Amino acid sequence: MAITRSRRPTVFAVLLLALVASHACSRRGSCRGEYCGTLVLSVAGSVTTLLPPVSTTSAERNIFDQIFLRLADFTASGVTIGDSGFVPQLARSWEWSDPLTLTFHLDPRARWQDGPPVTAADVQFTFESYTDTAVAAGDLTALRHIAAVTATDSFTAVFRFRNQYPEAFFDATFHMRILPAHLLRDTQRRDWSTGAFGHAPIGNGPYRLVRWVPNETVELAADSSFFLGRPHVRRLIWRFATDMNLAVTQVVSGEADAIEVLVGPANIERAQAAEHLQLYPYPGVTYTFLRFNLRANGDSLRQHPVFADPDVRRALVLATDRASMVQSATAGRAKVPPGPMPQKWTWLWVPELTPPPFDTAQANQLLTARGWRDADGDGIRDRAGRKLSFHVAVPSTSGLRKQYARLLQEQFRAVGAELLIDEMDNAALGERLAAGTFDTALESFETDPTPTSGVPLIWGSGGGSNFGHYRNAVFDRQVSIASAAPTQSAAVSAWVTALKTLDRDAPGIMLYALDNVAAVDKRFTDVQIRPDSWLALVRNWRIPPDRLNERDRVGR
Amino acid sequence: MTAWLLRRLATAFAIVFTVVTFCFIAIHLAPGTPFLPEEGRAINPAAVAHLRREYGLDQPLPVQYVRYLAALARGNLGESFSQHRPVAAAIASAIPNTVVLAGAALVIDFVLGIALGAYQAARARRRADAALTTATLFIYSLPIFWLGLVLLLVFGQWLGWFPVGGVTDPVFYDSLSWFGKLGDRLYHLALPALTLGIVGAAGTARFQRAALIEALSQDFVRTARAKGLPESAVVIRHALRDALLPVIALLGLALPFLLTGAVLVETVFAWPGLGKLATDAIAARDYPLVLAATMLASIAVVLGSLIADLLTALADPRVRLVA
Repeated sequence: MAITRSRRPTVFAVLLLALVASHACSRRGSCRGEYCGTLVLSVAGSVTTLLPPVSTTSAERNIFDQIFLRLADFTASGVTIGDSGFVPQLARSWEWSDPLTLTFHLDPRARWQDGPPVTAADVQFTFESYTDTAVAAGDLTALRHIAAVTATDSFTAVFRFRNQYPEAFFDATFHMRILPAHLLRDTQRRDWSTGAFGHAPIGNGPYRLVRWVPNETVELAADSSFFLGRPHVRRLIWRFATDMNLAVTQVVSGEADAIEVLVGPANIERAQAAEHLQLYPYPGVTYTFLRFNLRANGDSLRQHPVFADPDVRRALVLATDRASMVQSATAGRAKVPPGPMPQKWTWLWVPELTPPPFDTAQANQLLTARGWRDADGDGIRDRAGRKLSFHVAVPSTSGLRKQYARLLQEQFRAVGAELLIDEMDNAALGERLAAGTFDTALESFETDPTPTSGVPLIWGSGGGSNFGHYRNAVFDRQVSIASAAPTQSAAVSAWVTALKTLDRDAPGIMLYALDNVAAVDKRFTDVQIRPDSWLALVRNWRIPPDRLNERDRVGR
Repeated sequence: MTAWLLRRLATAFAIVFTVVTFCFIAIHLAPGTPFLPEEGRAINPAAVAHLRREYGLDQPLPVQYVRYLAALARGNLGESFSQHRPVAAAIASAIPNTVVLAGAALVIDFVLGIALGAYQAARARRRADAALTTATLFIYSLPIFWLGLVLLLVFGQWLGWFPVGGVTDPVFYDSLSWFGKLGDRLYHLALPALTLGIVGAAGTARFQRAALIEALSQDFVRTARAKGLPESAVVIRHALRDALLPVIALLGLALPFLLTGAVLVETVFAWPGLGKLATDAIAARDYPLVLAATMLASIAVVLGSLIADLLTALADPRVRLVA
């Protein structure tokens, strides 16, 4: 029968309905029991390679953490001194034969996802790869204390250290995910960042890659024969959103099950209002600060006309009401750090360290004493013809830091200092920091579990990211002492001393250390989050069989 | 016709070359550097400098430009700094998504726009026409990204009628039948295509209305009416055919609108097309990817204009293509 013109719209409508119905009706799955479950994770950003030494983003790290294991896994205790803060992973045991020699005995049950066992040769190959400058691994400097790694037999790897230090075990295990020598040995290391393995990795972890659609999704499937126990959740799917707003929307609307961090009070409120979501606060890993450039803007050979003077820096610290800023900008979802420290370093948040007080009277006194007076009555202090006016470089992608820039502007104005805000994207900000073409910058820094790497990197005289050119040999020495502290209590005491020196010198204003808040669908139980890697324990998350829905039953 | 086509192709080549050259200079002069880690992670200036050397960015700009053109002449678009894969592969994976989005939006734009315009013209200066004129002007004035966010919020999050971003359902897609997969894709396409399409449709409707009102005052329309044809036949078969000619020209102009709109819509809906690829590449200062995306966009715009001219000539015998 021919379709008349008048019936065409009806036919199209029926076809469209059939398509939608077919789409809905074909959502049938058969998985039942304890080992079903799909966890869809929404993330703002994307991934480009899953080869650990060349991966650079936190999304990549979250994914490859499920594919590649370490020799020993870090625990939630956060203890980086000695080996008490670690549990066996690829290595089932280890011992020190002398203060410079650490021997790992690999678990013979550990296998690569293509079949062969994980051997000591893989460990040796991994160390050689991470320390090869052609690979340009981000963790290269963290491995500088390890002289060599050798394989004495198939399942015994020996680490030789150049010197004895308390965090040797941490360095040997935390920074490296063991790589498959049999698959990577014949590839050019300088091409690893663009190589095929990074897009189709074969690992030794609880999950294996099954699908990757660039800029859309990555899907991992559980290895039912994983030697440390079968993961309960069968599928992990990452959905890549363009920004945090869309990522949160996906979780709130139920299209995704979990998100690592709800950035900002507004997003936390949205997630709180969603009945199907459970929020999980956990210590944050970043701190945010205003960095002063102690050298002239664009000329690192000259001193900065304002910030070379420590009293001016201290005055600006005193003029900053950080407690009220944290309350108003983050709705109390952050703390004012007494030093360059995230909330993750819980052991270092001790009463001996307190943030400087908010004291505008003292700030005004200091500035006046240093010759900064408002001679022309325009509300801005000046000295020898130069106004107390300077710029702050702020990343345009961070709403919170933009808000902080405006709050700082108001607070500095109260003591006669003018802050001019320059918003720019991350690429421009990074370039200006590296070139020293800034007065002040609002930066955030994501830390390791230990201060021994990040603090000297950002604030030490030889630190690669010490863009403000702060130099103090006493502070450097105190950091060295703290880094060599043999026990946790000795480390606390030594770090307190070092951070008090930093506080006196005021090379920056430590503004806030955020709480992290994750959101996870309520059908998941046994949800444990480790601050250093929020999905580190995801293989233990589970969905009780009576809470499984269609998305849990469907699929591979 | 052949001479005309050759001349237009030569002009098109010159335009694309100029765009690429201008873009090459602009992106290299823009503040910012590639190879930075994601925000919040420590910047290693030595590693950045090492990578700049590896990719030849330490060379003078003219040297880099000549090298780029030489590679381009060999069909090599280079290696993406941020995607860790060849630019050609990154572009190839994004193009189908943008073509589907822009194609669907184009259909909505012209079908809806022409229908609305014709409806308004047939009821010119009546209440319905006035209401639709106000409505189309309002929609045409809306920023696309804002409209996308509103549609996403209302139909995605609040009502739950449509998915919140993406091209397919990552959980169910693989288990769907062929028919189901098609349905899933259309389901995910709906909101982004509507966002891009209805703003264009509002503009097309206004254009179509004016053209049709003009056509309805022509002598041949009066003749058709005098012959006793029904008004619908007069409007659709006679006046509308004449009034479509300027709308065909509009087709060529719609392409730049769709491409620029796609940049915003793809970003709002996490649609992994050329626009989102270019936006991400700009943020990462991924020079080869930015250049390739720009070149492709300029080629599309130039070709769109060429095709519109050809279609106009085919549709209107009064138009002659003269070199």
